Amino acid sequence: MHRRTFFAFMSPSLLVMLTLMVFPLATSVWLSMQYMTFRNINEPEFVGLANYFAVFDDQKFWAAFVFTMTYIAIAVPLQIFTGFLIAVLLDQVSRRIRGIYIAAFLMPFIVVPVVGTLMVKQLFESGGIIAWAYRTIVGSRFILTEQSVKSLIIIHALWAATPFPLIVFFAGLQTLPDELVEASMIDGATRMRQVRHIMIPHLRSLFVFVGLISIMDSYRVFDSVFVLTEQNPIYKAEVMMLYTFRTAMSVQRLGKANAMSVITVVMILVVLVPFLLRTYKEQTEER
Amino acid sequence: MKRIENRYALAFVYLLLTGYALFSVIPFFWTTIQSFKTPRQANSRAPLFIFEPTADNYTDLWLKAIPDDPMLVVIILVAIFGLLVLVAINAKRFPVAPGIVYVAVLALGFYVLLQIPEFVKTQTFYDYFLNTIIVTAGAICISISIGCLAGYGLARYSGIAGVFILVAALGFRSLPGMSYILPYWWFGQRSGLYDTHILLIITLVAINQPFTIWMLRSFFMNIPKEIEESAMVDGANRLTAFISVIIPIMWPGIISTALFTLLLAYSDFLLVRILTQSNWTLTVAISKYAGGEDPGHITLGAAAAVSAAVPIIIVVFIFQGQLVKGLTSGAVKG
Repeated sequence: MHRRTFFAFMSPSLLVMLTLMVFPLATSVWLSMQYMTFRNINEPEFVGLANYFAVFDDQKFWAAFVFTMTYIAIAVPLQIFTGFLIAVLLDQVSRRIRGIYIAAFLMPFIVVPVVGTLMVKQLFESGGIIAWAYRTIVGSRFILTEQSVKSLIIIHALWAATPFPLIVFFAGLQTLPDELVEASMIDGATRMRQVRHIMIPHLRSLFVFVGLISIMDSYRVFDSVFVLTEQNPIYKAEVMMLYTFRTAMSVQRLGKANAMSVITVVMILVVLVPFLLRTYKEQTEER
Repeated sequence: MKRIENRYALAFVYLLLTGYALFSVIPFFWTTIQSFKTPRQANSRAPLFIFEPTADNYTDLWLKAIPDDPMLVVIILVAIFGLLVLVAINAKRFPVAPGIVYVAVLALGFYVLLQIPEFVKTQTFYDYFLNTIIVTAGAICISISIGCLAGYGLARYSGIAGVFILVAALGFRSLPGMSYILPYWWFGQRSGLYDTHILLIITLVAINQPFTIWMLRSFFMNIPKEIEESAMVDGANRLTAFISVIIPIMWPGIISTALFTLLLAYSDFLLVRILTQSNWTLTVAISKYAGGEDPGHITLGAAAAVSAAVPIIIVVFIFQGQLVKGLTSGAVKG
């Protein structure tokens, strides 16, 4: 295909991405240097880097940062471990029964995040089945506190985001050559050793892929925390996206919120650039 | 792979799998039960499993007033939609192209949905439902048409510019939506497009474009070059060859991508929450039921959650083959 034909085919999509992704990012940098509330949207006031200093001085921002990092550190390994475990177990089950299990496992993935969160929350409402079990076992009512809201957020993360690693690993296991496993059986390898020395190396690239995507998704978690905390800061369970949202829409410090989002973009790029460079190299070799 | 033969070990495997399956589905199961209870039953001390179901939560949610002849309305609607589904299933037997029949069925169905408030007093929840259909349908149409052109170009062009665009798109895809949405809000406020469908549609198209072109490209790569080359030898130019030869065999890939675009557009919360004031979609509307002191919020919230989940479950059920294919193709999520 000629260069000109390529750009002709590419142009509508490229135009959309330039005007609605590249340009907004540049605008965000510009907005982050303005003092702007809902009142002066049309005449923002230039304040230079003051918003950035305000963000770095803001205790709540750092609290949100720490909670986001804690969330990633707990939720991502949990999701990947559970996903891998279930995928290996599912591989042992006969084909006919698999379909039913997969349908059940995919339910949290299919239903949209806000709906899923509301459904999980229903279990913990007064009259909810887990709230009842909690009262029976512990003896006191289940109430939302800082600690219980945080655990709820993690439980929800496990429930909602495990289907993705599960399905990817399961699909990866289907490509594992049978001869390899059989040969190891003849050599007397136990199942644990098969998992360690055959399955995990075979799925290595998928672990990297799933890990990267899970980290990115956890970094920008918003919907579930929004619903579970009902935007109430008393639970001290704000993640970065939620704090940015509240700064922009409730506190109306739009310049500061844009500064936060620029800082987030820079943080993500630090993690992302090595991966992007690798993809660039792979794709260049492939063509 | 060789299966476990030890009976106890196998029982343990099933136990773990079933436990995890229950963990996955219990929230749906419980929420559905709660949605058919009265607030009093829903708040009972011990969980209630046997009770007289009531549809009040659903009628309160969707309708301002129950029509005089509820059965008549239900029968008419079932008849209309049953007829449309029947036509769609038998699309291949009509003298025109099946594609035209599908489009006509969808358009007619949507027209009927738009007309319902003329006869039945519906709640705002129904308006949110219509908003959701308009926004997702608009986003899918635009996103897929421009995405197909781009995906095809990217699959066939071997220059370095193609690789650069793909990698840049991957980078954009990985940034949080917030970094685009705050500027969109500002554009929306200044241009007067805030709270309109059109702003939601174009921004959803933009945010999902990187994912769309990656996924469509991977499907186009599977189509051999010789197919359009033979058409071009016969005198067709590339665009005609693309439309008349490539697109007809690309349908499975297009449907698969459209399904993911649908899931993404339907589930988007942050963008819709920031860019609208009243023209909400279902996802944003139901979060309104998330809390509150009124004991009725549990049952009404349950009915809202189930109402928002059912359409997407129906769509996924119809196209489940494509969903699994897309998930396992590795192109998912860019």
